[in-house]
Amino acid sequence: MKRVLDVFRGRLMLSTIALAALSGCASVSLEQQMAKVNDETGPFTDGRLALARTDRERTQRAQTAADLLKAPVGQREAVHLALVNSPALQALLARGWAESADAAQVGRIANPVFSFERMVAGSELELGRALSFGLLDLLTLPSRQGIARRQIDQSQLRLASEVVDQITQVRQAWVRAVTAQQTFAYAQQVLTSAEASADLARRLQSVGTFNRLSRAREQAFYADAATRLATAGHQATASREELVRLLGLDETQAQALRLPERLPDLPKQALEPDAVGSLATRGRLDIRLAQAELQTSAQAQGLNTFTSFTDIELTARRNTRFDNESGTKSTARGFEIDVRLPVFDWGGLQRDAMNARTLAATNRLEATLRVAGSSLRESYSAYRTAYDIARHHRDEVVPLRKVISEENLLRYNGMLIGVFELLADSRDQVSTVMAAIDAEQQFWLADAALQASLIGRPTNTTLSVNASAPSGGGAGH
Amino acid sequence: MTSRRDFFRYAGVTGGAVAISAVSRVAMAALPEPVIQTRPDTMPPLVPDSGTPYNPVVTLNGWTLPWRMNQGVKEFHLVAEPVVREMAPGFKAHLWGYNGQSPGPTIEVVEGDRVRVFVTNKLPEHTSIHWHGQRLPSGMDGVSGLTQPSIQPGKTFVYEFVARRPGTFMYHPHADEMTQMAMGMMGFWVTHPKARHPLIDEVQRDFCFLLNAYDIDPGSYTPKTMTMTDFNLWSWNSRIFPGIDTLNVRLNDKVRIRIGNLTMTNHPIHVHGHEFTVTGTDGGPTPKASRWPEVTADIAVGQMRQIDFVADEEGDWAFHCHKSHHTMNAMGHNVPMLIGVDHSGVARKINKLIPEYMVMGERGMADMTEMEMPIPDNTAPMMTGEGPFGSVEMGGMFSVLKVRRDQKPGDYKDPGWFKHPEGTVAHEYTGPLAEPARFKAEGGQSMPRVQSPAKVTEVQVRKPASHSGH
Ligand SMILES: [Cu+2]
Repeated sequence: MKRVLDVFRGRLMLSTIALAALSGCASVSLEQQMAKVNDETGPFTDGRLALARTDRERTQRAQTAADLLKAPVGQREAVHLALVNSPALQALLARGWAESADAAQVGRIANPVFSFERMVAGSELELGRALSFGLLDLLTLPSRQGIARRQIDQSQLRLASEVVDQITQVRQAWVRAVTAQQTFAYAQQVLTSAEASADLARRLQSVGTFNRLSRAREQAFYADAATRLATAGHQATASREELVRLLGLDETQAQALRLPERLPDLPKQALEPDAVGSLATRGRLDIRLAQAELQTSAQAQGLNTFTSFTDIELTARRNTRFDNESGTKSTARGFEIDVRLPVFDWGGLQRDAMNARTLAATNRLEATLRVAGSSLRESYSAYRTAYDIARHHRDEVVPLRKVISEENLLRYNGMLIGVFELLADSRDQVSTVMAAIDAEQQFWLADAALQASLIGRPTNTTLSVNASAPSGGGAGH
Repeated sequence: MTSRRDFFRYAGVTGGAVAISAVSRVAMAALPEPVIQTRPDTMPPLVPDSGTPYNPVVTLNGWTLPWRMNQGVKEFHLVAEPVVREMAPGFKAHLWGYNGQSPGPTIEVVEGDRVRVFVTNKLPEHTSIHWHGQRLPSGMDGVSGLTQPSIQPGKTFVYEFVARRPGTFMYHPHADEMTQMAMGMMGFWVTHPKARHPLIDEVQRDFCFLLNAYDIDPGSYTPKTMTMTDFNLWSWNSRIFPGIDTLNVRLNDKVRIRIGNLTMTNHPIHVHGHEFTVTGTDGGPTPKASRWPEVTADIAVGQMRQIDFVADEEGDWAFHCHKSHHTMNAMGHNVPMLIGVDHSGVARKINKLIPEYMVMGERGMADMTEMEMPIPDNTAPMMTGEGPFGSVEMGGMFSVLKVRRDQKPGDYKDPGWFKHPEGTVAHEYTGPLAEPARFKAEGGQSMPRVQSPAKVTEVQVRKPASHSGH
């Protein structure tokens, strides 16, 4: 304490300026903030995360959005679009910035208090000037700056994590919208086929080749197909609107939104567990967030043991006394230290609270660590299973059904089977194709979830089993 | 040694026949070398150069098995084995047969010959041979279990008997008969009379073949042996039209055709342009008084008919089974009648569901949709055969009797299409058409119905057309 006071002595004003400069280091600019979050979220934002503040920026982003909407919007483009267009996302960023700014405030020193007094006693005039600082403020400044930085880190990590979550939602909504649209298109195709056969059955009945029963049987498929189409139509609308909301599209933009005709092809190879493991351990957001929380808490606790105990105020005083009678002037200089005596409150409650907070943070970190592994394993399993199933559909199930369909066509050509046997087979084809589309959707949903889990925002998808169970032999006899 | 040489000579005579020497010489030392036929064509008649002479038969899309004389005994060697039979160009069946083909080779002997037949079993299961219709010792009748133990795979049995009566016979297994006959194991046997026979006329052309039926799924090769009635291939000597050779004769030849039925249904065999008489059955020549002229002879299951006629009308004459389903190849029986209904494009619309889905992916299927009416692999078209005036629209049990003035005696070559004399071919009438008077008298009834039908349906039928538009 003595040493500290020595430092202050004689260099007070200089130190004050220096300290003011020092405390500035714990502040955070928007650009830094965005750069940091972009960095953290890596492939999720492709460095495109930005908060628009000026009209010029806003116009620019509107232009980018318009450009993106000119072509069918792929998954990457959808994310890009959300980044430049979604007001909800902008709000999120703004809030994140606000949080960081608040956090930065902790690392600053309270402004010094200047007091001036003028006292007249008889012929004596006394001018008192005092400049007082919270001495503890100054003494603990470095550690409070550390805390501020941790809190900024924390808030940035939290923001990054929320951004990842948003983007994952966009990705998944995109997958659902494309799938629903694809299913809808297929349902239309099915209806055309069903219509053709129902029509043929009607014609056969009209010339007397078919009776009512046979015709009604053939018509039933058409009726089913129409129902399926209606459901698929709504599904396409609903999932598209969900995407529209996540992208934050306005009415005009929503109308301009076009999606690709089908989901992307499956990747040539699924991610291997080893690769996933190494990706996951590198800077997971959730773990780092828990770590930052613990560190902040621990540091705050260290500081708190002191600050909760006492408070010290240092005042530099300069009193000038004018004696009108004698015409003399004398100046008195000195320091004054106020110490709050911990007589009634020894700060125990405060310290207990901080202890508990640190304890909670410690356990939270531990919990996060444990959950991270498990949830990643689940995510990976969902991803891998969905990949294998989708591949199986692509490489086995659909080609098999195609072989059956082709062979049936050959048999139809040779008049070995009739047109309605082709139709019976086509019903099996329909469920196979639907199942294949669904399997692809599951994969892309699981893929998005896994990406989020990898970066540290554990997301799990439920795999719904939708195995096509074609009715074995199908047509022919 | 002499007999050995004979065999190679016969091998030459019978076109694609080859002698097998893969079987151990030691084991086969006492056996005549088996002769194997590799081609499904109609082979020239095998004129005998030992024993009593006779006028040999011609087996439709088949051949006659050479023999060796061994101390006055005619020795034949049949090898029961899996074979690949070309049932029509472009369509091969995996059958069981004898000496490389199904049916097996025709065995020709003369009344009174002592015959010894070695039967080697190269099938994956036991077999036996029954000499259908022959007079022989009971123990030579070839019914496994009843008159002999069955011939196990890899074993050779000997049958020996005297060909006691002249006539037309068959041979086939009598062990797991259903399977083995469904697989095509059968053959022809002709016993020629040793001298002129009052009931057996001399003929210039003597054809023979067996009726058989298979159930081979389109695109597959092996018959379904459990089929009882729904066969899809109706064949003569395991050949289907247009894979059946024509019967080529010289004008005014006396022609004999011997037909045996080893299918599971009867076949009314019909000849165009001529009347024939049934001159023999598996029981031998028919008495003259029982013969009458006809143009269709029904051949029941397990029966044999020998028909004779004089081919005295020049031309190309259809010769076929009169059951119209039997002059078709594999076809579906549940195909709706689309005649008179416009169904163009329906099949394409229906069947594009998967291909279209695939097109959405990386694999293009455009080449597939534009192919012209392909049918499954290894499948004979349902009805085909291009004649001089267009498609004959036939399959199965169908052939042509070709009667030609300039066909050389003993020449069985296909003379090509008949050159019709001027003005003797049906042609389109191009003169004025008068609307025929229609009469409304049909549809009478003995008494009125209690309730009339709600509405009278009139069916209009348009010209038949096969599947089109795909
Ligand atoms: Cu028939």
